[in-house]
Amino acid sequence: MGAGCGCALHGPLAHAQVLGYQLSATEIAPRTWAVLGRSEYFRMSNGGNVVNAAFIDVPDGVVVIDTGPSRRYGEALLALIERTLPGREILRVYNTHHHPDHFLGNQVFQADRIAAPQKVIDNIAAEGDGFTDNLYRLLGDWMRGTYVQLPGLALEAASEEVGGRDFSLFYLDGHTSADFVIRDDETGVLFTGDLAFLYRAPTTPHAVLPAWQRSIETLSGIDRDLILPGHGPRDPIGESLVQTGDYLSWLGGTLEGAVDAGLTMNEAMQLDIPARFAGLGVVRTEFERSVVHLYPMLEERLLPVVEVER
Amino acid sequence: MGRTIRTPHAAAAVTRAARATRATRATRATRATRAAWTTRAVWAVCALVLAAGAGQALARDLPADPLGSVMWRSMAERFMPEGEIVFDDRVRILAPFSAENQFHVPITLDATELDQDVIEIVAFADLNPIPLILRAVPHRAQPFLGFRLKLQQTSPVHVGVRTADGTWHVAGAVVDAMGGGCTAPAAAHDAPDWMARLGETRAVARSDLAGELRMTVQLRHPMDTGLAAGIPAFYLNDLSIEDDTGQPLIDLELYEPVSENPTITLKPLATGEASAYAVSARDTEGNEYGFRVALPETAASNGTEP
Repeated sequence: MGAGCGCALHGPLAHAQVLGYQLSATEIAPRTWAVLGRSEYFRMSNGGNVVNAAFIDVPDGVVVIDTGPSRRYGEALLALIERTLPGREILRVYNTHHHPDHFLGNQVFQADRIAAPQKVIDNIAAEGDGFTDNLYRLLGDWMRGTYVQLPGLALEAASEEVGGRDFSLFYLDGHTSADFVIRDDETGVLFTGDLAFLYRAPTTPHAVLPAWQRSIETLSGIDRDLILPGHGPRDPIGESLVQTGDYLSWLGGTLEGAVDAGLTMNEAMQLDIPARFAGLGVVRTEFERSVVHLYPMLEERLLPVVEVER
Repeated sequence: MGRTIRTPHAAAAVTRAARATRATRATRATRATRAAWTTRAVWAVCALVLAAGAGQALARDLPADPLGSVMWRSMAERFMPEGEIVFDDRVRILAPFSAENQFHVPITLDATELDQDVIEIVAFADLNPIPLILRAVPHRAQPFLGFRLKLQQTSPVHVGVRTADGTWHVAGAVVDAMGGGCTAPAAAHDAPDWMARLGETRAVARSDLAGELRMTVQLRHPMDTGLAAGIPAFYLNDLSIEDDTGQPLIDLELYEPVSENPTITLKPLATGEASAYAVSARDTEGNEYGFRVALPETAASNGTEP
């Protein structure tokens, strides 16, 4: 607070600031905007704005993809859409998967217009409250008033028309047990959710690596003009799919080797990360998290079962 | 509840009898502990009164905890009641800065740089509702231990390594954690058939990248803390390893905070003649688990005598 502002605030209150996201929209394709998050982990300094959301101006209104980590983010997103496309009605909101940075802004949208595959809805119902608790712990007041709002509409069709625009819908898995991918058939933009990361290390709390690799293969074969990954910049050349696949195969192989060598989780966390991944945001942190996520499955598979006498 | 294990032969009756005896003993032990605590409480009051009058004469000379744990003094007195205590950089504790999973927080303790024999190891999480994680007495194992624990909240985790001269060499790390690791039901309780897999074991001994012998043991067990609603404490509490020549390697006492499906990593010191390790474990219901782990042929001569 500058000197001579003439206000009566002193002491702690003088530094109090209402938390707010400075969201901006980047037009990545005709009438298609990305709201790009930072390539960081959840922190008080970023309010959890670490994820990509997007919105599309279709003939009869607006389609939104993912709603961010908090109610406050949802409000900021809504305001950004209103600023960019004044007076346009929001017809559809898609949730790509059940991780909290992708759906906790749902509250500000009309529930019966929020759509996701049934499995994504089930996952949010099962784990949403736990995620929310943890984000309150990590982000404090940024989360004020946030609670789980389930999508009101379960999808299973291979395509749907929304407000005069056709969308192809893909039901994949691997990053989580249900990863929903949306393609705008008009612009050719493929919204991959977190099946693709770019210049940001992939996260694995619910990952099954072989399934994820199969999904990346599927995505590579889908006709498209541009990818918007769940985290990272727009990707016109499919680099996000290659980079994510490369990282995941290194990760899987490295952790298999670590389990085979009898390393403890802590020792595995200290392994070298190849130089080609040095440019991936928060790669060390994510690698350490992945050790905890993936070790139990690998141990179950790789450690020899011994006969027990009881 | 079906908590007891169906023993396929006549030993069942023996097991039941043994359990009854243990239960009685446990009750007695609890009473004795309570009595001891009452005595300690009285002592503490006396000590305070005396200390007020006579300086710090009765207080044990404890170094300040570099982590500033509010529970340090109490923890040190409780779990390392005798002997000098020093914080020692040669005791390395590997712990994540943040617990990705409050049910499985990996800790690796490496005190192999100490130049004296290690006679006891203790690990505790200061702010856990049940702080004591484990105690270990290595006989023919390096002072190296990998394990995982449940954290109820962000907490310092301390490890004490006692050398033959009686001194505790201590290290610690703070692990940030989401709440609830000790009060939620074990994942096993989601599976209707968890009893069928109780005691399922994975284990291996092999040479590690540095050519040292290393052993990993993982037993399927819910490790119920007794703090989750409606689920009594039920955990693996004893685990001992000896080689097939009868030489003891290590004795471990495990407590409630050890993670579900305990996974222990050790560095045994090999003897020339041994070809396998024999592991015997027991849980708080008296179920016993015994298994053998073959030594890798190439590693049979690795390691040094303690």
